[in-house]
This record gives sequence, structure tokens and C-alpha cells, in this order.
Amino acid sequence: MTLKECYSKMGGDYEAVLGRLRSEDRVRRFALKFLDDSSFTTLERSMQEQNYMEAFRAAHTIKGICQNLSFTRLGDSSHELTEALRDGVVHPGYDVDALCGRVREDYQLTSGALMELKES
Amino acid sequence: MFYFYNNNTYTKKTVAKMNTQNKERQWILVADDSEMNRLILTDILGDEFEILEAGNGEEAVMMLQKYGTQISLLLLDIVMPKMDGFEVLAMMNRYKWIEQIPVIMISAESAPSYVERAYDLGVTDYISRPFDTLVVHRRVVNTIMLYAKQRRLAGMVADQIYKREKSNSLMINILSHIVEFRNGESGLHVLHINTMTELLLRRLVQKTDRYGLDYADISLISTASALHDIGKIGIAAEILNKPGRLTKEEFEIMKTHSLIGAQMLEKLPDQQEEPLVKVAYQICRWHHERYDGSGYPDGLKGEEIPISAQVVALADVYDALTSERVYKPAYTHEKAMQMILNGECGVFNPLVLECLQDIEDRVGEELKVNSLSRKNRREVSGLAEEMLQHEELSSTERTINQLEQIRAKEQFFLEMSDEIWFEYSNEPPVLSLSTHGARCMGLPEQILDPAKNEQLRAMFGPKWEERIEELILHGTEPVLQMTCPILVGGQNRWYRMILHTNWSAGEPREVIGIVGKLVEVQEEHTDSGSQPDGTEN
Repeated sequence: MTLKECYSKMGGDYEAVLGRLRSEDRVRRFALKFLDDSSFTTLERSMQEQNYMEAFRAAHTIKGICQNLSFTRLGDSSHELTEALRDGVVHPGYDVDALCGRVREDYQLTSGALMELKES
Repeated sequence: MFYFYNNNTYTKKTVAKMNTQNKERQWILVADDSEMNRLILTDILGDEFEILEAGNGEEAVMMLQKYGTQISLLLLDIVMPKMDGFEVLAMMNRYKWIEQIPVIMISAESAPSYVERAYDLGVTDYISRPFDTLVVHRRVVNTIMLYAKQRRLAGMVADQIYKREKSNSLMINILSHIVEFRNGESGLHVLHINTMTELLLRRLVQKTDRYGLDYADISLISTASALHDIGKIGIAAEILNKPGRLTKEEFEIMKTHSLIGAQMLEKLPDQQEEPLVKVAYQICRWHHERYDGSGYPDGLKGEEIPISAQVVALADVYDALTSERVYKPAYTHEKAMQMILNGECGVFNPLVLECLQDIEDRVGEELKVNSLSRKNRREVSGLAEEMLQHEELSSTERTINQLEQIRAKEQFFLEMSDEIWFEYSNEPPVLSLSTHGARCMGLPEQILDPAKNEQLRAMFGPKWEERIEELILHGTEPVLQMTCPILVGGQNRWYRMILHTNWSAGEPREVIGIVGKLVEVQEEHTDSGSQPDGTEN
């Protein structure tokens, strides 16, 4: 699997990330680093514990990384979750559980694609 | 989320590397809770700069405190645990670091209110995520270059001012010595008046803020005091140097020297607005006025006489009494004080007289020492000037280098020492421990706001905490010792604490820092079985 294929599988924007980070090698290195990041585990745990401040920061971190790497799909869903939990408060009008479900789905899709890239 | 412990080791390694190989490379502090973000920035900038990392705002503040202006730039995230980016900026404003260390904010928050707030708090630039690596790189390099240039320029200006000030006071010295020489005096009179004026004014501002004088004013008045008798060059030599008492007519002529001096200054073209000229005018014209209106030339009364002239008048009288003149011997300090306080030399402002009495003990000493040490100082500064010509470094740069050298030395000793050393600085409140000390006490090497740190407070307990505070705040000696029990690793053990307190120079006197050492003395205490009350000195 090529890096470009990996991006298309996860719903990312390969052209954009290459434009900003300016080297395929750099994009690959940091994209694969995403697999080591534990923010998603933190997010799931803190949601269960209803520690919304920690959940907010974890979602925020995921969003930040996705923005850096142009993981557009996961970036969008984690962005929405961040807004729903801004400053550690569940804001009215958001279905936090559904948003969290979408983040989980997108996270699995993204990490799955990255695993494939790593093994190929 | 990544934990910053990994990167702490990394940071140490980087610093060690910096100390040995890369003196020249500039340091950038990256404060971001996401390791990925720090890695990307390190990847972009690591080839040219040394990167220090902080995983949260509190760590960032402690690194700023530790490394100061060794850090050339701070890349700052907003959303971080413990202390967020805005709080870091608030701290940087409070301690004026923001004036020395440029900050570029990098954040995924693009809301205008965030951007605006960041700029209001003094950031140089705001970069939104996702960023283009080229843009980050260019902005970082540009900001560092601009600041370096600005620092260099500020240094050049400071050097110029310093040189100008120096030649200014040199000119004044030459001028007043010419006058003294013509008067047949040694030249010490000018020095004495200068010293006395400064001592009196310093005491005066401690007693009252009625005159609104700051340190710059005191220095200006002291400098201008040298000119108090310049009018005497307009007095005929036969009168000026007449051995024995002057006739009434001669004395009337002599008295015109104050007006002559003032007129000379008044006729200076274009310089009437110069603060030095204004103050010198007051001193020349009115240094023979008396508080009750009995002086000359204008018979001014009370506070109509500018404070500069009031103080110089008293200094002049004191020095005239204690010096030998053609018509009189030198009186002792005691005799001179007695004559002044009895009003034998005219009436002075009671508050200024109080100041004279307050500084009485120091006056004799200072005048003696000053005449000698000034000569030495002049020789030293001549030497320094010669060195300056041979060295490329400007004096400002040299000061900065010296400070950095001290900082590096201190860090080295703290890391190497196998004793428990600590240092407390008040602005910001940070307690730093030597590496070994931190290990022994089971504490981190740096603690922000130690007075509120529960772990630390539990080690001493409320009773000892109070006693230590009492000793530091109300102690009169800078160095003090005490023995107290400290709870370390669940055990209460006796320690001797040796403290050196630094106070601020001005009034009110404030504690600005403490350095100290802890020595375990458990054995002494088990042997003697004593129950000390804590103080030993």
C-alpha cells in the first residue's frame, strides 16, 4: 500500500499534507507515529468516567494531530466532539454519545489504514 | 495522550549536548501537550536550533525561570493541562519576560477572540493549525533575527548613553576642579559635597515622598552639586584667596558668587531645558539661602528654596566646618554637628537636619573612604577603557555573557553537588533544589509556588513552617541557621538548615530570594537527646 492509498482509505487529504509538510518521508514518519498516540484510549476512558475536561483535551489533541496530518475525516468528527465538550462541559444540542461513536468509527478506520501501511 | 517523562530525559540530553558542543546555537522552547506536535516542530527546526520541550504550561514557566533569555523564542500552544497558554502569557507579562523573549502562538483555535487575546498579551505572531512547515520555519527565523537585532541595537544605545554620561561627569569634574584650584582648595570639597548630598537625599526619600525624588533625581542633584561654586571664577583672586577675615565690602562682593554662577548657567545658549542645567541653576543661585529667609541672594524662605539647594547648602556648611581654611582650622565632626544644630550657621529645614543626624555615623567614614576610593575607581575605569578598546565585545554583551556564565555555572554545581542545596526566588515564586537534594527529599527539582505546595508543607508541619517564615521575614542577619525536623519518606529526621536571605536594596526592604543548604543531623540529636527550640544563632 502506498502512502497516497492509505490516505484515500482513511478519508484524508494527501495533497494537502504533502503541500504543508513538504516531504513524503516526513509525512510517512509522522502518520505512522499516530499509532503510538494514546489520546484515543484516554478519550474512551475519560468519557466512561464522565471526566469531560480530560475528554475535551483528548479530543482536542486528536483534532490537532489530524489537522497537522490532514486526516480530514477523523479531524472533522473529533472537531465536533471538541466543540460539544469545550472547557469540560457537555454543551446542549449535542448528542455526545453519537459524536463519540463517530470518532471511534473514524479512529478505527484511520488506524486500520495506517496499520496496513506499516505492514506493507 | 503522551506523557512528558520521556521527553524530560530527552530534554536533559539535549541540554547536555548544548553545553558541550553547541554554545552558538540558539534555543527554542516548544510548549505543547501533544508529543506529536512537539516532534513535528523539532523535525522542522531541530537542524538549526536546540529544542527544549515542555509538556504543559507549568513546565514551560519553570523552564523560562531556569533558562531565562538563553531561550531565544517560545512556541506556545493554547490548550494544555495544568496551565494553559494564556496563563503562561500572563505569567510572562507579570515577570516582564515577554519583553525579552518573543512568543509565537501555534494553535488549532482560530476563533478571532483567541487570536486577539493572544496578541493583546504580547505574542509576536499567531500561527493556526494546520500549518505549512515552510511558514513556521520562516517566521521563527525572522522573529529570532529581529529580536537579536533589536537586542544588539538596544545594547549599542545603552553603551552610547553610558559613554556620554561618563564624559559628562568627567567634564563637570574638570570644571569644578578648575574652580577649586582657583580657590586654593584641594578638590576634595567637591567630592565631599557630592557624597554628602547623595547620602542626605537617600535618607530624605526614605523619610518622605514630599519632594517626589527618584534615584535618577538624586544622582542628577549629586552630580550638579559639583557646580555650586562656579560663580567664584567671577570673584577677584585677591578677595577669594585673602588670608584672614574679609571686610564687610569684600564679603558683599564674595556673596555675589551665587548670582554670578546662576547667570553663567542662564546664559548658556540652547541648554536651558536640560535637567542638569536647571538643577545646577537652583543650586548655584540658592545654596546660601536659609530656611528662615535670612540667606542670600533672594532671601527665599522655607520650601521656596528648592530641595536641591537646601541639601547642598547643608552639605556645603558641614564640609566648610570640617575642613581647614585660610581663616580657620578644621573642626571635628562633633563640633561641626553641634554648631549646625545650634543654628550657628543659619537655619535649615528641620527634616534635612534630621537626615544629617541619621547619617551622622556614616558621614565621616564615607568622606574619608570616598576620597581615596574615587581615585582608585578612576584608575580602574581607565583600565577598563583600555580593555574595551582591545576587545570586540561591548559592555552590554559582556554583562549578558557574564550572567549566562553564572547561570551555567550554577546549574552545573547544582547537578554535580552531592549535598542538599536549594534556592528560592520570589518573582516568580519558584523553589529549585539540587539534583541530589531533590532525590533525597523525594521532591521535584523545581516547585512553583512552594508556599501552596501541600507535599512540601506536610514535610515541615504548620509549627515549623511558621517559625521558618518568622525567622526569614523578621531576621536582621542575612545568614541564619536553625535545626528542625523534616518528614522525609515517612520518617521525621533532624536537619540543620543554613539560609542566606537576599533583600531588595530600596525601601521597603523585601525578601527577593533565599539560598540555602540542608544537612542531616539526626545522629547529633539522638546522641544528645536534646529538644532544641529551633534557633541556634
